[in-house]
Amino acid sequence: MDDSAVLELRGITKRFPGIVADDHVDFDLRRGEVHALLGENGAGKSTLMNMLYGLYKPDEGEILVDGKEVTFHSAKDAIEQGIGMVHQHFMLIPVMTVKENIVLANEPTRFGVLLDENAAAERVRHLSSQFGLAVDPDAKVERISVGQQQRVEILKALYRGAEILILDEPTAVLTPQEAGELFAIVNSLKAEGKSIIFISHKLNEVLEIADRITVLRRGKKIDTVPRAGATEEALAKMMVGREVLLQVEKPPASPGDPVLEVEDLEVLDSRGLPAVRGVSFKVHAGEIVGIAGVDGNGQTELVEAITGLRRAQAGKITVAGRELEHAGTREMLDAGVGHIPEDRQRRGLVLEFTIAENVALHDYGEPPDSKWGWLFPRRLVDRARRLIKEFDVRGGGPLTLASALSGGNQQKLVVAREVARDPSALVAAQPTRGLDVGAIEYVHRRLVTERDESRAILLVSLELDEVLSLADRILVMYEGRIVAEHAVGVGEEEIGLEMLGARKQKDEETVA
Amino acid sequence: MTEPVAPGTPPEPLEAAPPETVAARFEALQRAGGLLVPVVTLLMAFLIAGLILWATGYDPITVFWDIGKGAGLNWFGHLTTDTGQASAYNFTQTLLGTTTLILTGLAVAFAFRCGLFNIGGQGQYLVGLIVANWVGVSMVHLTRPAHVLIGVLLATLAGAAWAGIAGFLKATTGAHEVVTTIMLNWIAVYLGAWAFGQGGPLQGPAKSSPISATIAPSGTIPYFWGDPTTGGVHIGFFVAIGALVVFWAMLNRTTLGYEVRAVGFNPEAAAYGGISVRKNYIRAMAISGAFAGLAGGMDMLGPFAPIGFGSLDVYASSIGFLGIAVALLGRNTAVGVGLAGLLFGGLLFGTGHGLSSNVIQPQLTGNLTLIIQGLVVLFVGADILILYLWNARRKLRPGRKAEPAA
Amino acid sequence: MTTLTPSAERMWRSRLADVRTLGYVGIGLGVLAFWLAIPPFTIRSPLAPILVGLLAALAGVWTVSSGARRLGWGAIAAGVLGIALGVLATYSSTGHLDQVFTAALIAQMLAFATPLTFGALGGMFSERSGVVNIALEGMMLMGAFFGIYGADKTGSWFLGVVIGALAGMLLALVHAFFSITLRADQIVCGMALNFLALGITGYFFFQLYHGANIGTNISTVPNVSIPWVRDQRFIGPALGDLNLLTWVALALVPISYMVVFKTAIGLRIRACGEHPRAADTVGIDVYAVRYASVLVSGALAALGGAFLSVALIGRFNENMTAGRGFIALAALIFGNWRPFGAFGAACLFGFSTALAYQLPAYSSSAAVLFLALPYVLTLVAVAGVIGRTTPPAADGRPYKKQ
Repeated sequence: MDDSAVLELRGITKRFPGIVADDHVDFDLRRGEVHALLGENGAGKSTLMNMLYGLYKPDEGEILVDGKEVTFHSAKDAIEQGIGMVHQHFMLIPVMTVKENIVLANEPTRFGVLLDENAAAERVRHLSSQFGLAVDPDAKVERISVGQQQRVEILKALYRGAEILILDEPTAVLTPQEAGELFAIVNSLKAEGKSIIFISHKLNEVLEIADRITVLRRGKKIDTVPRAGATEEALAKMMVGREVLLQVEKPPASPGDPVLEVEDLEVLDSRGLPAVRGVSFKVHAGEIVGIAGVDGNGQTELVEAITGLRRAQAGKITVAGRELEHAGTREMLDAGVGHIPEDRQRRGLVLEFTIAENVALHDYGEPPDSKWGWLFPRRLVDRARRLIKEFDVRGGGPLTLASALSGGNQQKLVVAREVARDPSALVAAQPTRGLDVGAIEYVHRRLVTERDESRAILLVSLELDEVLSLADRILVMYEGRIVAEHAVGVGEEEIGLEMLGARKQKDEETVA
Repeated sequence: MTEPVAPGTPPEPLEAAPPETVAARFEALQRAGGLLVPVVTLLMAFLIAGLILWATGYDPITVFWDIGKGAGLNWFGHLTTDTGQASAYNFTQTLLGTTTLILTGLAVAFAFRCGLFNIGGQGQYLVGLIVANWVGVSMVHLTRPAHVLIGVLLATLAGAAWAGIAGFLKATTGAHEVVTTIMLNWIAVYLGAWAFGQGGPLQGPAKSSPISATIAPSGTIPYFWGDPTTGGVHIGFFVAIGALVVFWAMLNRTTLGYEVRAVGFNPEAAAYGGISVRKNYIRAMAISGAFAGLAGGMDMLGPFAPIGFGSLDVYASSIGFLGIAVALLGRNTAVGVGLAGLLFGGLLFGTGHGLSSNVIQPQLTGNLTLIIQGLVVLFVGADILILYLWNARRKLRPGRKAEPAA
Repeated sequence: MTTLTPSAERMWRSRLADVRTLGYVGIGLGVLAFWLAIPPFTIRSPLAPILVGLLAALAGVWTVSSGARRLGWGAIAAGVLGIALGVLATYSSTGHLDQVFTAALIAQMLAFATPLTFGALGGMFSERSGVVNIALEGMMLMGAFFGIYGADKTGSWFLGVVIGALAGMLLALVHAFFSITLRADQIVCGMALNFLALGITGYFFFQLYHGANIGTNISTVPNVSIPWVRDQRFIGPALGDLNLLTWVALALVPISYMVVFKTAIGLRIRACGEHPRAADTVGIDVYAVRYASVLVSGALAALGGAFLSVALIGRFNENMTAGRGFIALAALIFGNWRPFGAFGAACLFGFSTALAYQLPAYSSSAAVLFLALPYVLTLVAVAGVIGRTTPPAADGRPYKKQ
């Protein structure tokens, strides 16, 4: 590894409507090094790399490759400069074979037209052995494992002559063993003189593989440190530390009987891989249980299973003493489980419906909204008017379309609807995502109010300070399991480390 | 339940709005343009048709005026020296066509509101027609109101069942309703050609010609204006108007309509709300088919009752397809379909039999209607173009990108 | 099916290859079961079709249980059908059979299959690149009218066919513009173009020819008379005198296969149809590829229409294609978007149509129902009864460059 910078980013800035994704970020990559880019969700890592790969254009700043300034208009330009990217979400064609995916757009041909399959397979095998990336050139991509697919992605970049490789959260989709194999690959790439940018939020992995580490936080670069001497605690503090914005005033909880009980729940994700690997906990009436964790550790699937949107593979869900097996959304709703979904525009609301119609989304089929199938719009409107007033939804009346409301008011609408149904348990997933401070404050106060009405509230959030300030009990979820449980008052850094997989409490947990 | 996804398929970023459904797109179009966009669409279609006329040596204004006369427009003010008789006749025939077109238009519109493409209106229409013929010819022991009602009812149910097949296939196997309805269209065509053809079960007494029997008098729909044999309007016209009301009421005043619209706009949110998406696919298709079947039934027991319907008529019939243009021009709303039905009814008759052939031959204008029909559907399909042109005139404001996940 | 070591994968795949051959053998046996009962074999004992058909069904069952569901069920269906039709044939008199099943039937089948093949291959190019093309019917019609118009005006069938193809490409250009550049709904566009083509061809047919015949001495595409083959007893009437365009269509089937599945350009087309964003990120111009594919589909479909007018009948009638474009679409779907499959489906549909035209000698009304067979079969196929049909993954979804 020598000291010459093969890549330099100076003062890179990128703005989107409403936020600054990257704020005058400086970054450099030396030849033959593995440089990790560390940061939480929303820190600006992916945006930065997308600019490097030609998918976005920076608003300010320069990019220099081998000392020369370059501008990228497309991915093709970046490829020509020797930059290859392995996306977090693979750009592979499932029905095609490995070698077809790798040689696409740069195919070896016979007579200039015919695909030379043997030559393609040969080149793939050659690259494969050179870099230690074992793949079967003739296998169909949809049949191979995720780890192997990732290797195909890497080979794609290498095939096009990449000298700089960007790996975007590569271990997010891998099992621990596959991650180990990946590290071996990274090292052999390094030995062949490639320079690698390793984007991650997992502290332990970064410390294992990187030569230097740059930490981003909220679009700004905090610091760049060499691996020698870096500790998990120091890195976590750089990543996570910030003033806690909101401190919710809340009286201590007085929990009653368990309302929502989850036992040994196992859920598969959309790809058929285990996302929730045996989770058990209870939520009592009058308490807020918060689940903290980084995105992609199974929280989404957990919420979907509890609310009936996804079938669990194994385990039990009990609501108010009644065990619910293979329940769909309607059964869960009738059982008294309310759900504030994490994507209000996709799941929570029908944007083309009016506020009144959205309020009725669960109950339209029952009196007083309807009788024998005949709908009474006026009653919907009246109910909506009451809820609008009670929950301070601003931006329109009952006949305004939901799409006309601001994000905050849309969320208030969803909250209003769910709470007004008087559920015994309320599952709130990312309830303040995308909201401004005022709306966030409102939602938080509302959740506490509902807690004091003796509802059982399960809060799942990616925002750590939200969980810390609202929850009476905090569960930390990592790789599909609950790895820690804390009462109020735990330190932020401790939880942060647990969320990042750096530390686990004792495995045998008795979760009250 | 959420659908499985192939490995390596990139998951959609969370912040994005739900994927656009057909219904949502039309809703947006409706809100953005109101009445203006359909009118502009129509004007553009007529403009291009006029250009074609002019390029082939005809005077567009005269031609369009003649078409209007053929449609009976002049009946309203007796604007020409034409005797009131002819224009009245023309107008009744226009209304007759409007009756059918409103219903076939509703068949397409209702399905669109649920996010489904019902291209099978023609087949559903034919099936209704066939069943009505069978009832009208065979159940002669019934008295008039009962005979007609049963004929119409069974025709409606036949259309519903025919479309229901496509809905059922979509709900259970995920088969795309466009493909299945197109297939069902042609199956219905050959069913009809066989039934009314040589040796077919519904062939009429003249065994040498492939045409059905005429309907018994007890089975014909009463007329209220004009003479059934020379052409007039039957009470089915009011049924069609009633259907418009039923359409509107069903969609906006019943729980069924609520579910249909929710599924049409955002199936994910509908599922979250506890609505069964699959059940609604079947229901929406069945109701759509019912409208088309009703049209077929009333046509058989109305204008075709005294003359019968033959295999050749089956092949030539295309009124179900015209329903697509009606629905799209009418933006899938009750009022829109009503007005579009009237327009195309006038076009259809005005360019066909009603036209006096000293200016231009009817065959030419008949094809011109097809061109106008095609252009209307094409421009609706490209709503972006129209919206873009419209927005470009008001203010230039390129759409904003959704925030990416950083 | 996510983790398999490469050697296990290869072993599994070779085993599957064996089973697939068995599946095809099964289908062949099913066809044989029927064929034995009709000329030229005309075996009268019902045992023959029953035994052979049973073999076919057994092969199918074995194929299904070994994993190749779709093929296996196809073999079982072929076996059952073969038994049913074969036994039926033995009940019919030999005279009738000789009348209906002549070698000329094969020639007719190929003649009916020609426009279907052109249309299906055209549709394949378009859909493989990701653009749904329901306007095959319209493009075919354009080719039919402008083909014969061109032949009339230029006096040469060759130029006529070329002009017909160009007309189809023009319609395809409109489809491409609205579907790709404007990202309009592709199905609505397709339907619109069908209406448009019907109107345009009808309008100009009346305007230019007043609905009368286009002319009596139009140069038509010649038949290809193969000297030695023509004189053979069975093959002669079947293959000896087919039209040139039919041979072109036959040749296009393996050529299309090569282009789409064995060339670099074909790989890129398929990439655009499966995962356009992935194709974009490696530098493929998705818009250009899709435009080209849609234009090709227009040209091919138009060739199918030109066959009808310039080669087969020698004149034009209003709405001459009469739904053949939709049958071509059905053949494409039934053949699972692959050239040989689509051709096989086209032959099957062509056979049933040819049979339908022969049957009036036997029973006139049943003949009409036979014409519905292609649609029924496709309906069954799409419903996935014989296994799922798999269109290209991104078929029908407009692509927006980031």
